[in-house]
Amino acid sequence: MFSHKARWLIPLTFIAGSQAHAELQAPDISLTVDAYHKSDNTALGGRVEDLGLSHTELALRQQFGSLAMGKLTAVAESNKEETDFSIEEAYLQTLALPAGLTLRGGRFLSDIGYLNGQHPHADSFTERPLMYRAFLGGHYYDDGVGLSVVMPTDLYWRVSAEAFDGEELGEFESDSTIGTWALSTTLGGDISDSQSWQAGVSYLRNRMLGHAEEEHDDHDHHDHHDEHEDDHHGHSHGAEYAGEHLYMADLVWKWAPRGNNRDQQLTLSAEYMRVTDLNEYASSDDYHEGWYGSAVYRFAPEWSLGVRQGRVKLKLGHGDHFHDGELEETTAMLAWNPTHTQTLRLQYTHQDAVQDWDDTFAGADNAVTLQYIISFGAHDAHSF
Amino acid sequence: MMHIRSKLSALALVAALPLPAQALNLFACEPEWASLAGVLAPEAKISSATHVYQDPHYIEARPSLIARLRRADLAVCSGAALEAGWLPALQQRAANPDVQPGQQGMLYVAQWVETIDKMESVSFGVGHVHPEGNPHLHLDPERMRQAGAVLSQRLAQLDPERRDAYKVDYLRWSMQWEQKLADWKKRAEPLRGRKLVVQHTTFDYLWRWLGMDVVADLEPKPGVPPTPGHLATLVKQVEQERPLAIVHSWYQDPQSANWLSERTGVPVLSLPSTTAPDEGVVTPADLFEHLLQQLLELERAG
Repeated sequence: MFSHKARWLIPLTFIAGSQAHAELQAPDISLTVDAYHKSDNTALGGRVEDLGLSHTELALRQQFGSLAMGKLTAVAESNKEETDFSIEEAYLQTLALPAGLTLRGGRFLSDIGYLNGQHPHADSFTERPLMYRAFLGGHYYDDGVGLSVVMPTDLYWRVSAEAFDGEELGEFESDSTIGTWALSTTLGGDISDSQSWQAGVSYLRNRMLGHAEEEHDDHDHHDHHDEHEDDHHGHSHGAEYAGEHLYMADLVWKWAPRGNNRDQQLTLSAEYMRVTDLNEYASSDDYHEGWYGSAVYRFAPEWSLGVRQGRVKLKLGHGDHFHDGELEETTAMLAWNPTHTQTLRLQYTHQDAVQDWDDTFAGADNAVTLQYIISFGAHDAHSF
Repeated sequence: MMHIRSKLSALALVAALPLPAQALNLFACEPEWASLAGVLAPEAKISSATHVYQDPHYIEARPSLIARLRRADLAVCSGAALEAGWLPALQQRAANPDVQPGQQGMLYVAQWVETIDKMESVSFGVGHVHPEGNPHLHLDPERMRQAGAVLSQRLAQLDPERRDAYKVDYLRWSMQWEQKLADWKKRAEPLRGRKLVVQHTTFDYLWRWLGMDVVADLEPKPGVPPTPGHLATLVKQVEQERPLAIVHSWYQDPQSANWLSERTGVPVLSLPSTTAPDEGVVTPADLFEHLLQQLLELERAG
């Protein structure tokens, strides 16, 4: 029993390496280019106006026999303000643990929420919903370990626990080893031949807040303002609006005639987030929240149409008290897939600062985006 | 006397087992493998991930499929990259070590049965072609029998307690298949040399076996949906060649086939590309019987 356990305590790389001699296939290499033109900047991150490359990724996937797989994803973004390279994924994942268990280690996308674990080029819209941009910096990946279990039930039921060092969530002054940890669970199944669903709840604990807050006690308007300005445009990796606790709920429903999703498919999805304990002055009523709902209809194999409505309600910290802020975003898109490796998408985004304070949402604007995605080589199988 | 003895030995066998052995849980990627398993492993708990009205290239890694693969002892799939768009995602999420590639519980039929139209290299822009060859090999009755042998062997390896039963079921099925093959071959004689227009390479194995010739494909490139421009170029050719039918499978939109049929007078024939238990096409033999009857009916009418 002990030796069996001990086998899994050996660093994954070692297992992977020893297996590699036996049956190492060539790695799958893929390149995905995401080129776009956006007419104007919009509030709360997203793409920068003008021509640019967004989330252009080179990915390597290596299977180590039937024991483990490894993945490395390097991402480049380039626009008129900056050019940025990052490693978004560099992890090993077990494939041979018993009892439905999967262990991941390295840098990977957290299992929280519905969209978070998906690759942005598989998204139906050019930018993630407002709440993802505000609370997770678009999508949350980090260095850490994750353990998930798929239950042996008729209904799909997965439970995940993850611990990260927290470096990628935002700019925090903290040196805790476990900066963040997360729990999430997802259920899913079919309602009929034509309908399927998935629902999940997640929790993300941010342990890096609370210590650095005292520095802001001076109640200085202008400092605060400038700080925000910096974050407004450009590619911001981190969450702009953080709290100690992040709660999420997601629901997805898909319909395709007789389950044949090649020709037609309707996808409805909605997610909700709440961020609490923003700082030491926050009462139980002071929390950020956000939600979005989206409907995407593929009406022919190559064509799809989608609308999305999203909103964030923020508590804008101002010394020992908060001001309310609320931003709404409505998005409509038309996408054409001439082949299964290419997407051409035209999107219109309308932003509305429902309630503003201190010009936080001064960047709210309308924008037209034209996006072209092309991928080469083996590409990831589509997730639900 | 014989009867009683066999009953007694069956009883003895049951008594000798400490516990009734758990029925094998089998996950078939396509309905034809579920049907084949239904004949070769009648006690197994079998489910098919897809059905006849779905395009097996385009399946989503739905939660229900992950849950099913999670509990499978054996997964049987065509392979040759047919399921490349969804099976790896299921394998990665199902966390079931038994059905990972290379394991005994993961059977890709195309690894054991020769495919046609293998390609040395695939150049960019050729559409959705498989360098591993045409994966729809179940539509060749000879290859179906080979697949039966492979599946039966694998069942015996995974479930040695029922080894003898699997062998008996296979031998019985294989002998019946032999007779059916001869019968189909004889009846299919009038189809030899007849021409067809197709939509995708789905039935290529069947045409080969029947000696029928494909003169045009509604798809401009394999896997790329028909375009009006491409269809227009086919009209003249189809009028000259006078094929027996314009064939599409049940899961495909008949619009393109109908369009060409209206302009050329060549009839449209909609065929199931796999078994369809809800429509009475239950076993692999039912499928070939159905396909042959449909083709012969049209041949006699024409």
